[in-house]
Amino acid sequence: MWELLNAWLVAPFDYGFMRRAVVGGLALSLAAPPLGVFLVLRGMSLIGDAMAHAILPGVALGFLLAGFSLPVMSIGGVVFGILVALLAGAVSKMGGQREDAAMASFFIISLAAGVMLISIGGSSVDLTHVLFGSVLAINSTALLLIASISTLIVITLAVIFRALVVECLDPLFLRGQSRHSGWVHSVFLGLLVLNLTAGFQTLGTLMAVGLMMLPATSARFWSKRLEGLIGIAVVLAMIASTGGLLLSFHLDIPSGPSIILLAGAGYFFSALFGRYHSLAAKWRRKTAPLSADPST
Amino acid sequence: MKKETSPARLQLHNLHLAQGERTVLEHVDGSFQPGAITALIGANGAGKSTLIQALMGELRPISGEVVCTVPKKRRAWLPQQLALDLTFPMSVEELVMTGSWPSHGALKGYCAAHYRKGREIMARLGISHLAHRPLGELSGGQRQRALIGRTLMQEAELLLLDEPFANVDSETVEILIRILRQMADEGATIIVVLHDMDHLQRLADDVLMLTGGHCRWMAPSALTHSQAPAHVVPFTLGEHHVGTA
Repeated sequence: MWELLNAWLVAPFDYGFMRRAVVGGLALSLAAPPLGVFLVLRGMSLIGDAMAHAILPGVALGFLLAGFSLPVMSIGGVVFGILVALLAGAVSKMGGQREDAAMASFFIISLAAGVMLISIGGSSVDLTHVLFGSVLAINSTALLLIASISTLIVITLAVIFRALVVECLDPLFLRGQSRHSGWVHSVFLGLLVLNLTAGFQTLGTLMAVGLMMLPATSARFWSKRLEGLIGIAVVLAMIASTGGLLLSFHLDIPSGPSIILLAGAGYFFSALFGRYHSLAAKWRRKTAPLSADPST
Repeated sequence: MKKETSPARLQLHNLHLAQGERTVLEHVDGSFQPGAITALIGANGAGKSTLIQALMGELRPISGEVVCTVPKKRRAWLPQQLALDLTFPMSVEELVMTGSWPSHGALKGYCAAHYRKGREIMARLGISHLAHRPLGELSGGQRQRALIGRTLMQEAELLLLDEPFANVDSETVEILIRILRQMADEGATIIVVLHDMDHLQRLADDVLMLTGGHCRWMAPSALTHSQAPAHVVPFTLGEHHVGTA
């Protein structure tokens, strides 16, 4: 039994690339889920997906210029992500179109442009690598970058936390209280782009958003408090990233989808058996209406 | 009707307001004194919300000006259609504490004295037992009290309320009337959009009536007398319950 556990859970980390991947995954798991929680609470769940597509042309340009260099690709991703967010904001202000509609238009253009750029300069293997990630490619430089970005995100979130909470709840109140209220939204979008660029090496541009959203949506089934949501989402993300890497190692499957599918399994489990709003919670309320406490 | 004892905190000079290309109000003049509660009345579509938007600096006048000496941080607006996202996981106490923004900003931690002040405010409003209840589980009246709690925490000097008594229980109405009067006595300038004559008579010192795109100042007593002019009727006899609590 012990040997089996050792072979499954410990032995894979004898390999350097697995150690780097797990550290990178844990760093991402600290930074991504809190952003996801705020996206869910702001009713912007799909914006994360849109931004993941938006960074692709920048990543592709970085790839064309410097090959698989994470710093260059990341810088390209950040620049393009911010550019698309700004353009979408400008178009929605100019034309009175809702920001999500403008964002939807831009992200699909970005996806096509990104795929086109990689296809011109690379092979289909390169395309798969950028879209779905590869743990084997995480070297020390990449790990340092992921850890630095994650640290920056956590610190910045801590700084803007109160403003972000107040803005989610009552934007008008924040506007009255602070001249800098407009910055909160922009800084938040900037953190989103940074997080996605940090995540694409392990998970790929398309999968990076999964580690942000799935733990956050799952946590809604377990807690009604903000601290609870963030804490649970972080723990779920850590389990998914580490477990997904192990599954990827043992079953010889791509790491990105493996991590996200495990997080997806967590989501289904939560939706079925979670404490609040889950199928089981509804069933419990139906069977015990007299003793059921509506606040639980 | 307008007390001239101390300088007005809020003044309107020949205000012309429009929504898009449609003029809503013209030639609006007046001043709002510290310690006075002004009832803003008018039929639906008369421009009450438009005027409030202008007073809060959310709508730029076509011409004229709004002069407000109250710092932005000490102005509070309780909209009728709550802009609040009630699914947001926040408790009553946390909401009340966000009113500390003027003194604490985005970064400064709350100290024990501030928590104590928050608890005192909740006690005044009769919502101490709801301190840890999520906002999504509150009734309309409880929510309104929590929001007033935030403005008390904010030490608001200018308070605009859009139909604060709509869909709230009678106990909340009593508490809110008492608290608003206390705030006014402490020097706050309060403007309330009201539809109910009984509430107006109990609360208002002045009445600003909007009708036909213009404004008219009057004393609350002018509205009770049966000789109230016919053009007042659209406000009082609209779809709202005149003279009922």
